[in-house]
Amino acid sequence: MIQRRTLLGAALAAPALLAFGRAAAAAEDVPIGIVYPLSGNSAQIGADAHAAYDVTAEIINGRHDPLPMLMGQGGGLARLGGAKVRLVYADHANDPQKARAEAERLITQDKVVAIIGSFSSATAATISQVCERYEVPYISADNSSPSLSQRGLKWFFRTTPNDANFSQAMFAFYKDVGAKTGHPVKSVSLFYEDSIFGTDSSNIQRKLAADNGIAVAADIRYRANSPSLSAEAQRLRAAGADVLMPSSYVSDAILVMRAMNEVGYHPPAILAQAAGFQEQSFITGAGDLAEGVLSRSSYAGDAVKTRPAIIPVSALYRAKQNKGLNDNTARQVTALQVLADAIDRAGSAKPADIRDALTRTDVKGVDTIMPWTGVRFDATGQNTDGTPVIQQVHEGAYRTVWPAEVAVAEPVWTVGQ
Amino acid sequence: MTALVLQAVVSGLLMGLIYALVAAGLSLIFGLMDVVNFAHGEMLMLSMFAVLALHGALHVDALLLLPVVALIMFGGGVAVYRLLIARALSVASNRGMVQIFVTFGLAIFLRGAAQFAFGGEFRSINDGWLSNRTVALGPVFLPLPQVAAGLVCLLAFAGLLALSRTEFGRALEATREDRDAVALIGIDRDRIFAFGWGIGAATVGVAGTMLSTFYYVSPSVGLNFAVIAYVTVALGGFGSMLGALAAGLLIGLVESLTALALEPSLKQVGMFAVYLLVLVSRPRGLFGKI
Repeated sequence: MIQRRTLLGAALAAPALLAFGRAAAAAEDVPIGIVYPLSGNSAQIGADAHAAYDVTAEIINGRHDPLPMLMGQGGGLARLGGAKVRLVYADHANDPQKARAEAERLITQDKVVAIIGSFSSATAATISQVCERYEVPYISADNSSPSLSQRGLKWFFRTTPNDANFSQAMFAFYKDVGAKTGHPVKSVSLFYEDSIFGTDSSNIQRKLAADNGIAVAADIRYRANSPSLSAEAQRLRAAGADVLMPSSYVSDAILVMRAMNEVGYHPPAILAQAAGFQEQSFITGAGDLAEGVLSRSSYAGDAVKTRPAIIPVSALYRAKQNKGLNDNTARQVTALQVLADAIDRAGSAKPADIRDALTRTDVKGVDTIMPWTGVRFDATGQNTDGTPVIQQVHEGAYRTVWPAEVAVAEPVWTVGQ
Repeated sequence: MTALVLQAVVSGLLMGLIYALVAAGLSLIFGLMDVVNFAHGEMLMLSMFAVLALHGALHVDALLLLPVVALIMFGGGVAVYRLLIARALSVASNRGMVQIFVTFGLAIFLRGAAQFAFGGEFRSINDGWLSNRTVALGPVFLPLPQVAAGLVCLLAFAGLLALSRTEFGRALEATREDRDAVALIGIDRDRIFAFGWGIGAATVGVAGTMLSTFYYVSPSVGLNFAVIAYVTVALGGFGSMLGALAAGLLIGLVESLTALALEPSLKQVGMFAVYLLVLVSRPRGLFGKI
């Protein structure tokens, strides 16, 4: 019996020792926490994000022909002896309290050196607080509420433009298209869901409308995931604004398009604060009703001339998820890319060194897959070079229509017709 | 303004009919055997996925799938009773707790299973006969899928009432009133319960089929309707079909009018205010007997 146990022990120990030997020779992996809604109403977002981060990690770690982007040469983090980034996933199920607990677990137990998240702004608020307390950088890949970067956090870095940047671009677009077509926007209806994303987005839009002399015909806050939005649609119809500006997640985005159709309302133009409107399920779910819908975007998948890395990265993603990159997944790729670059420049896996390197980030837009000028963080941790675009649904797909530098088509403008 | 109110009333009543039918199955099971089915929303979700899958495979309009889905759900309801509920009810102690945990666990399992099997995408049927069609009746717009759903709901209620007049219906009523005495007169209680679950699930199947012609389908879609269904049942009176119908219509109407008159984000407040009001003045619900 004893003999057998000893043998068993030896058999188990041998590979473990070998593995230890290998690990000592090569550089140690750098663990990075990734917190997303892997279950619940936004589970698909989480599944897509999972694939996007996996693809990016493969690009950074793997051995392959160099891709025309920062960290695209592969082979791990060069200044850390080829150390690989190792992604540790956690599920927050779109619940801020669960997000807080998961972030804490990742930092204290999995010893991650940074966390990337998290899709919804409400969960980012709690995760980033935990990160601040434990002094670990939080990279906001896709949380767009402006207030997140105005809380004086020192460990918060946001690669994506926020809803203030996005909304400024929307009103700049109104000015441009109004001057060009002679049909300016005179009134807008704000329609937004009742969590931090919708509220923040509407606050900035209300202010910008006032600054630009545009009337707010309706200001409607609705309950997310309602069984029916038909009363809301009627109020929008009664207001009859030139442009409807919704801030909604995908389920409500599909529902409001249908509800407006049900009460016979077809707004002259719709310009969405992305989110649900940029999802493939929105385009298939709303069907013909989605045609002509405008949305802001931080990603322009059709800008392949100026961003050559889009084609190979998108192909790698498609191989995994059977669809192209979208506004969310492209920003996730970029967030991990920027973080990996910072860890590499820091030459260290210590959170404090990584934070220092992040503050000195200066990535050029052409080295990413985004149509941005680049990535540089200001004192609040907000990327100041993330310049958004406006896209429009044309025959069941979004195409970039503004600004002119990256546009592939003229916008179809139906206001005042 | 009148046009706006009229439209809100029509939209509210149409939605109310759906709420009523979703609640009917829940009410039936509760009235029959004092079991609250916490997986009711998930049964609604499953029937919607059944429509989606059958529609995708057979390219048949959702309306024609109505009897098929109802039949599938009937089988599902009977299976849930035989495999889970009957066993949960046979425990020696803490029966109430056990039945809550069983249906609650079933709900979580079904949601997870649906996400595993179908993915978390939001899907919808856009190529049906009635998809996205409306007719204008003066200033009021009538969405055809919802009008059809409303008619089917009324028919289903007529069916449920007709059922209560039959031999089986009387056996059901007798079992509800005294589940121990019926055994003495030769009624197989277990069979009645299984049938009750079958009918309850089939009812929610009908509601799910009609809902899928104008609503999106996703693993968590049941949650949007479940809370309203529980309120509807409590408001109408546990076990009362007529109560479920009246309460569903009332909730649809109140919801629609609160969203129009007050802030839309407060529309559930109006609904719960009415519920509390009824609860205070008439604790057993509008049509409740118990």
